[in-house]
Amino acid sequence: MIKERFFLYRKTFLALIVAGIFISIPWVTSDFFVLMAIRVMYFGMLTMSLTFLAGELGVVSLMQASFFGIAGYFVAILQTRYGLPFPFPPLVGIAVSLIIAGLLGMLVIRVRGIYFLMLTLVLGQLVWALASQWSSVTEGDTGIMNVYAPVLFGISMEKSKTAFYYFQLFFFAGATWFLIALRRSPFGLMLRGIRESESRMRMLGYPVSLLRYAAFVFAALVAAIGGVFFVYFMGLINPSSVSLATNVETLLAAILGGINTLAGAVLGTGILKTLDVVLSGITKRYLLFMGIMFLFVILFAPKGIIGTVRNYGRSFLSPLMRWFGLGED
Amino acid sequence: MSLILLMSILNGLTLAALLFITASGLTLSFSLMRVVNLTHGAFYLAGGFVGLSVLKATESWIIAGLAGGLCMAALALFEERFLLRWARGNDLIETLVSLSIAIIIGDLILVIWGGYPKTIAIPQALGGAIKIPIINLPYPLYRIFMLGLAIVIIGGLWLFLKKTNFGITIRAGVDNFQMVSALGINVRRLFTSVFGLSGFLAGMAGVIGGTFMMLGIGEDWRILTLTLIVIIVGGMGSLGGTIVGALITGLIYSFATAFIPEFSLFVLFLPVAIILSIRPQGLFGKEV
Amino acid sequence: MVGKKMIWLGVAILFSTLWVWGTAHAVSEIRIGQIGPTTGWATMFGTEGLNGVKLALAERDYKFKGIPIKLFTEDTKADVEVMRTKLDSFKTRDKVHFIIGPSLGHEGMAAVDWGARNPDVPILIGYSAPEDITMRKATPSVIRPGWTGPQVIFHFGKFCAKDLGYKKVIIVGQDYSYPWDQAAGFTRGFLENGGEKVERIWHPVDAVDFSSIMAKLTGMKKEYDAVLCNSGGAQVVAFFKQWYQFGLDKIYPQILGQANVPIVPMLTELADMALNVYSSLHYYDGNPSEANMKFRESYLKAYGKYPSVIAVQGYDAMRVAFKAMEAIDGKVDDPKAFITAVRQVKMRENESPRGPFYFDKFGNPIQNIYIKKVVKKDGKLMNIAVKTYKDVSQFGPYAAMPEKYMAQPATSREYPPGNKDDYFREIEKYFGKDYMAELKKNNGWKE
Repeated sequence: MIKERFFLYRKTFLALIVAGIFISIPWVTSDFFVLMAIRVMYFGMLTMSLTFLAGELGVVSLMQASFFGIAGYFVAILQTRYGLPFPFPPLVGIAVSLIIAGLLGMLVIRVRGIYFLMLTLVLGQLVWALASQWSSVTEGDTGIMNVYAPVLFGISMEKSKTAFYYFQLFFFAGATWFLIALRRSPFGLMLRGIRESESRMRMLGYPVSLLRYAAFVFAALVAAIGGVFFVYFMGLINPSSVSLATNVETLLAAILGGINTLAGAVLGTGILKTLDVVLSGITKRYLLFMGIMFLFVILFAPKGIIGTVRNYGRSFLSPLMRWFGLGED
Repeated sequence: MSLILLMSILNGLTLAALLFITASGLTLSFSLMRVVNLTHGAFYLAGGFVGLSVLKATESWIIAGLAGGLCMAALALFEERFLLRWARGNDLIETLVSLSIAIIIGDLILVIWGGYPKTIAIPQALGGAIKIPIINLPYPLYRIFMLGLAIVIIGGLWLFLKKTNFGITIRAGVDNFQMVSALGINVRRLFTSVFGLSGFLAGMAGVIGGTFMMLGIGEDWRILTLTLIVIIVGGMGSLGGTIVGALITGLIYSFATAFIPEFSLFVLFLPVAIILSIRPQGLFGKEV
Repeated sequence: MVGKKMIWLGVAILFSTLWVWGTAHAVSEIRIGQIGPTTGWATMFGTEGLNGVKLALAERDYKFKGIPIKLFTEDTKADVEVMRTKLDSFKTRDKVHFIIGPSLGHEGMAAVDWGARNPDVPILIGYSAPEDITMRKATPSVIRPGWTGPQVIFHFGKFCAKDLGYKKVIIVGQDYSYPWDQAAGFTRGFLENGGEKVERIWHPVDAVDFSSIMAKLTGMKKEYDAVLCNSGGAQVVAFFKQWYQFGLDKIYPQILGQANVPIVPMLTELADMALNVYSSLHYYDGNPSEANMKFRESYLKAYGKYPSVIAVQGYDAMRVAFKAMEAIDGKVDDPKAFITAVRQVKMRENESPRGPFYFDKFGNPIQNIYIKKVVKKDGKLMNIAVKTYKDVSQFGPYAAMPEKYMAQPATSREYPPGNKDDYFREIEKYFGKDYMAELKKNNGWKE
């Protein structure tokens, strides 16, 4: 009886474990770890927006950091220059980012495959060029400084990193839930249909382009939320946040974790950011090391850690997974 | 016509020449293999540095140019033969492989040649300025040489693609790949050699560009972005399109730096966005 | 859906393996963090600074009164996001006692912003030169044993107007805050000492094809006397090269350079193109002082090439730190005491390769500024000083009225105005009629 009952709730149980781990981080780990976790979460949102597109539309974008950065820039500008009170800067920032995603989406949604990658690369560079050269608005390469995280319920997110962590965790969990729910919704199913056979879906009368367009805008939303936390945590924003390097790094994180999955995005970002800090302390040649590592991941495990674990780890880990009710789906 | 207008046109043309030499290799390999070789910028820079070292040893600029080209051709052959072939069939994976190789080469350059900006001395015979007849304007001889070289390369490529058996096979492969392989032609060799040629052109362009401007860390990504703009505007896989794309990019860059330098980057990227929104396949590209 | 959930577990495992970080360290060693760009386009600026710090440490065998010194080094990749991460790592993971670096302008601004939020970690800024690090954004824990952009170039403007007799100058530079600062400092010195007009041309930071600008310069010869190259690193090489290609050396007198133009690593690359270039800086490599000679030789021995001013600043920062440690008897774990001690450090004649210096109340050195010229000595290019201005503060000729100076807007592409009339109207607003009258009376700045 009890056992049956337990199995009924095992997925909830697992979710509780994961939630418990995330919630307990500030209590059981060091300050440094909390800072790293905050970083992984905001970059994780950026990477998730990329993997969502890769998973649902089958395209690789090199401009997600633009939406991340646009939201960040607007928060910074509205707060430092116009003194708008919280929560208006982030709301406007995300809205502007979505509007721009809406406009650019009309351009990019028409192309597929490698063309999509190149087009988003150029559009991303366009945003970067604006950020670095339109200095009356963006203050050029120096960027905008003196951004402070808000005070919520009497707690300053600026002073207490733990508070900031929970503040962000709330939205991070929300964004993750949003993407998972989207994927499982009829909308997600339609996207899956398009991915498998676009012509069939079109024949069946589904508004294929509109669906793809909507997915692009949703992805931008998640990146924009990440951007808001980025600027609050960093306290400044400059063109490097929308640069090609940031976009490439996001892509690499996605590949490392598994480009088609949301969990892979977070895992990949976590590993990449950790390696960055650990390796660069040990050797000056960490770029070389990373390049070689990526080459191997791409050649031998193109589905990333998640895909590889799914392929090979199943038999080895299946008893444990079955226990958690994570059978075949 | 005012002096500055005339100079800007000439400058745009000569920059276009360099961009064409760099982009022609990329567009060739793209049209045949559907791979956007993101290593191309790294080939350019590494080729330039190899040329610099060879020039120091031999004191011959021509040997330096050839050495830069040949070394990069060898590297490109290696990349195609041992790494890209591994992932053949999935253009995204191939592109990502080339991306990681670009990162590796970029860091190796830093290890081997250090982080200081370098420049290749202009060969004696090409130094100084000459007076261009008719308009009576002094202009650097080296730039005229670059323009001439680009024209020679255009001619060479055209002849190669139109007149030689191998070139005809390549063109056929671009048009209808299945057909070519069905005819029993060794497609693998075709791929490898085109990729090698592309690497050669990139490496040589590095020596030419390094003589014309300078070599420095980060230059690889800058050149890659410019090259991508050229082939996106012109239409991927079209040699004629690459010429037009290089001209447009070169002229915009030149006029923008002369008249609105503060926004030159933006102005450079804007037409790309406009062209792509009207014709996603580029001006001369085939339907996607 | 299997792997996905499992990976969430994986995330948890990853997190728990990192659990161990940040545990307490022993207090029996001095921990120093050094940060700067050691990969990417700015590698030169980070590596030389690091070498300087290492040289100063090696001189003392990485020990201070028997206490071992541990140096942590990090790369910024010239990206401030990365830099902030690394600064946090220094603070929370390595628990360093103080930080030396970074090197670039925007990095320095981000570092002072971080410093204001983390006042318990003293930062000795490296090569980074924006004024506001030690002016409008100054914070107690951030001290700069270096320089500001305008500080070194105010008097160069004066020199060009008075000694070289130029009336109108064109400044061609990279479009970001550091060259804006340089242009602003030059403009002040130039216009207040008899210059008439400064025209500024800005190009993208990473531009390498200057042909259009060369074309423009050719056409501007009718009106202007000289050109000042206001870039750093690779852009200098490209600019000089095209300058000669287009034959501009024949129509303009000797090219002028901002502080970063004829520094040592550039001289190797520019070779004879750099001959006779005038510029100004708080250090010159041809300085015959004993401290400089010794420093150059030991640097050459350690790294196989001669040091530049970037290395000098890394070296000086570490030596300033040593002097401060002596004053507080090595108690670096008290950041307040250390900061106070650093601010009181006075480097005497022959203690630093650059000459004597001490800190003003904002934490920037008051030091000698040298007007330099590139000459060839025994077949080698080097800078010699043609004129020395002693004890110049970051406020230059306005040292007596820092508040008025800081009340002015931050420098930008067009600020301060480059036209004589507009310029004087503008400074009268901030410095008042008395200052104007004095300028007129002395016919420029007092000697």
